[in-house]
Amino acid sequence: MDNLLAARALMGVSFVFHIIYATLGIGLPLLLMLAEGLALKTGDESWHRIARRWVLPAGVVFAIGAVSGTILSFELGLLWPRFMAFSGAMIGLAFSMEGFAFFTEAIFLSLYFYGERRLSRRALFLCTIPLTLAAAISAIFVISANGWMNTPDGFRIVNGAPSDVLPLRAFANAAWPHEALHGTLAAYVATSFAVAGYYAALVLKGRNVAESKKALVLSLSVAAVAAPLMLVTGDWAADSVAKFQKAKLAAMEAHFKTSAAAPLVIGGWPDPATGKVRYAVRIPKLLSVLAADDPNAVVQGLDAFPQGTTPDPRLVHPFFDLMVGSFFVMAIGLGWFWWLRWRQKAVPDQPRLLKYLIFASPFGIIALESGWLVTEFGRQPWVVQGYLRTSQAVTPNGGMVTVFTTFVIVYLCLTAGMLKLLLRHQGRHTGEVRHV
Amino acid sequence: MFDPVSLAALVAALGLVLYALFGGADFGGGIWTALAFGPRAREQREALFNAIGPVWETNHVWLIFVVVTLFTAFPTGFAALFIALMTPLVVALVGINFRGAAYAFRHYGRASGREVPFSARVFEIASVLTPFALGMAVSATAAGTITIDNDVVATGTGVWLNPFTVMGGVVGICICACLAPVYMTVRVRGALQEDFRNAAIAAGVALGVVTAAMIPLALQTAPEFSHRLLGSWPMLCVVLAVLAGVATQLLLLLRRYRLAQMTTGATVVLTLAGFAAALHPDLIIQEMPLHAAAAPRSTLIAYLAVLPIGAVILVPSLWFLYWTFRGEPAPEIPPEGKEP
Ligand code: HDD
Ligand code: HEM
Ligand code: HEM
Repeated sequence: MDNLLAARALMGVSFVFHIIYATLGIGLPLLLMLAEGLALKTGDESWHRIARRWVLPAGVVFAIGAVSGTILSFELGLLWPRFMAFSGAMIGLAFSMEGFAFFTEAIFLSLYFYGERRLSRRALFLCTIPLTLAAAISAIFVISANGWMNTPDGFRIVNGAPSDVLPLRAFANAAWPHEALHGTLAAYVATSFAVAGYYAALVLKGRNVAESKKALVLSLSVAAVAAPLMLVTGDWAADSVAKFQKAKLAAMEAHFKTSAAAPLVIGGWPDPATGKVRYAVRIPKLLSVLAADDPNAVVQGLDAFPQGTTPDPRLVHPFFDLMVGSFFVMAIGLGWFWWLRWRQKAVPDQPRLLKYLIFASPFGIIALESGWLVTEFGRQPWVVQGYLRTSQAVTPNGGMVTVFTTFVIVYLCLTAGMLKLLLRHQGRHTGEVRHV
Repeated sequence: MFDPVSLAALVAALGLVLYALFGGADFGGGIWTALAFGPRAREQREALFNAIGPVWETNHVWLIFVVVTLFTAFPTGFAALFIALMTPLVVALVGINFRGAAYAFRHYGRASGREVPFSARVFEIASVLTPFALGMAVSATAAGTITIDNDVVATGTGVWLNPFTVMGGVVGICICACLAPVYMTVRVRGALQEDFRNAAIAAGVALGVVTAAMIPLALQTAPEFSHRLLGSWPMLCVVLAVLAGVATQLLLLLRRYRLAQMTTGATVVLTLAGFAAALHPDLIIQEMPLHAAAAPRSTLIAYLAVLPIGAVILVPSLWFLYWTFRGEPAPEIPPEGKEP
């Protein structure tokens, strides 16, 4: 593994790791807020119990989110100092604002977690509101930095260096609105599906059924609101990518040759050597419709760009399909659940439905991870689209392979420790004795 | 003085000071967990552990604040520092991670009725290692060993490993070790309070000895820095820091803990202020002045404009947090909902 590859692999692993905890850090506060709010409004204490039972696992998740986020902020300098020297002035503002949001989040998190004996119930609920808002806002801010990497704006290049910097313009770059909206909603979908799967499993095992059903309804309500919006905002994202990131669109759709009336390619394995996509399903003219609202429009393929400036479709197309596919996996579960709920006028508990929900529960996070991989791999070989190549951004320091190995070990330890703790907590919590 | 570059530098220095005061006490808690002594060692550990709980995450956000301020306001300097100081920064980062995770695991592990001794050990080791590595990295900016030649930043062991930076690391440990027991004297009573008083006095003596030893060492190995430090008004900070340190010891002897808490804080603030004043107007001594490291004016102004807006949200929230968790540290394990 060379230095560049090690650095990229480490950055990728770090993000894939961080985003799991960040997602839960955005989604869980919303669920806590809704549950505490319901408890106050209806006087039904079981909502409060449901919320407080998340305190322990959520505490671990938040702690890992914080340490993995710290790793990321250091890695920007340790791995990509030249990227930061180039872009710090443009994306720093997003990170600074995010910093305040984090800070607020950390404060209200502590108050909610540790304040049970020192604060009133009303105050506890009130703490969950800034918690939820701050989490969402921090995501919206940090995503601006990523949007800027995709659609850089707010500066001019003079003698090879950025000048005439307009920080607000850089902050409000073209990709930011759709990425922020689609990306933040994704966290709600992913968390609510993960939580729903957990409660579906409890109902299936007949444990604490009354409360688990309530929690199931709550999480699937959140999902029912957020998931359809994924389709809408995803479509918006695709439109915007078609406008501003044409090479990424071509790689997402495995569209090798510029052509009119382009078909939509679903599945299959793109082969850059031959420019063909093997084993794929094609829907005639649909790509032209999606990209330009015209069945006969010309859509640029990967061949429209100079060699060496386009991403590898093998890394982008499959993940795009995985994201969209996961959406349908979840949509089926939602449709099924709410259909039965409406028909039976009671929370459905048919084992087949519950098993399906358990099966579908990881697909939110799968969709979210693959969506990010589409965005990141789809930007290659650029770290700042059109301006700075990833290979120019990497640190001149040698020994990246060692650093990579070190942090992979750190991540493995964190994961192992967390799983051990949560599983044990689980066993105790449900009154089960575990013999290991 | 009040141009955007200096203001941004002031903000970065302030962030560092706050991290030293809050995060430092947090590390100090870990150090004294390792050094707990006498018949009440167990109680000491418990009290430290419980005091850290609710404020652990917030304390460490100050580090992020420093890093973000650096790369926003001083992107060129940030890049140079992170190239030159890669090794100590990686060590510190690994330390921060293991420490945070070990603390969380131990905390939540205990909440479900178990002690996790392995996590406790990791927590202690990381609490010593991290301030050492960070102290090394910070003092390296003043050592004169980081060189930049035609935009090429020197790398290698010599850049960050020399007697001056090693002592800087030791100072880092001592600062942390001083803060925690002094803060604790205010929060506990009885025999435990006496224990923390003794710990605080010992750590104060250690900090005094180490910083005193730092001066001849600096004269030898970091001549430019010591010249600036002893030359003009940075010297004032040094004198005041010494006075504050001596006052702390006296106040501890007299058992005036609230005042001692303030003078310890002042010692740390003044020590760091002296360091920063001596470094000024450079970010990396003699190699990179602040203005060469800084972002364009428009970015600095936007950044400085965001700060007060953030502060309006942050300061009352922070105050509410520390106010809520004032007083005797309780084993505030987040209680769960009862099983029905
Ligand atoms: C629960 C997760 C989830 C689900 C169900 C979907 N997405 Fe998504 N998608 C994401 C989670 C996500 C993401 C991880 O959050 C991304 C990465 C960057 C971003 O802004 O959001 C993303 C990016 C992303 C992009 C690239 C944006 C860019 O690079 O600028 C496009 C074109 C789509 N999505 C389109 C869709 C469509 C058409 C979907 C239809 C059903 C869809 N997504 C479902
Ligand atoms: C949160 C979800 C994200 C994931 C899963 C993710 C994933 C990845 C991956 C896999 C890489 C390696 C790319 C490659 O080797 O081709 C990468 C690179 C990188 N990402 Fe992201 N990323 C995310 C968000 C962000 C954000 C918000 C930023 C904001 C600054 C960012 C900055 C970078 C940088 C600087 C690199 C290194 C340069 C490069 O290889 O393009 N990423 N990321
Ligand atoms: C799209 C990408 C990202 C999203 C949605 C995101 C979201 C979040 C959220 C919600 C948290 C709080 C989670 C918790 O406490 O468990 C968090 C923590 C953190 N993130 Fe990220 N993040 C992203 C990328 C990044 C990047 C690029 C960086 C820095 C380079 C970063 C640095 C941090 C830091 C330092 C923390 C810890 C803050 C604390 O102490 O509470 N994140 N992130």
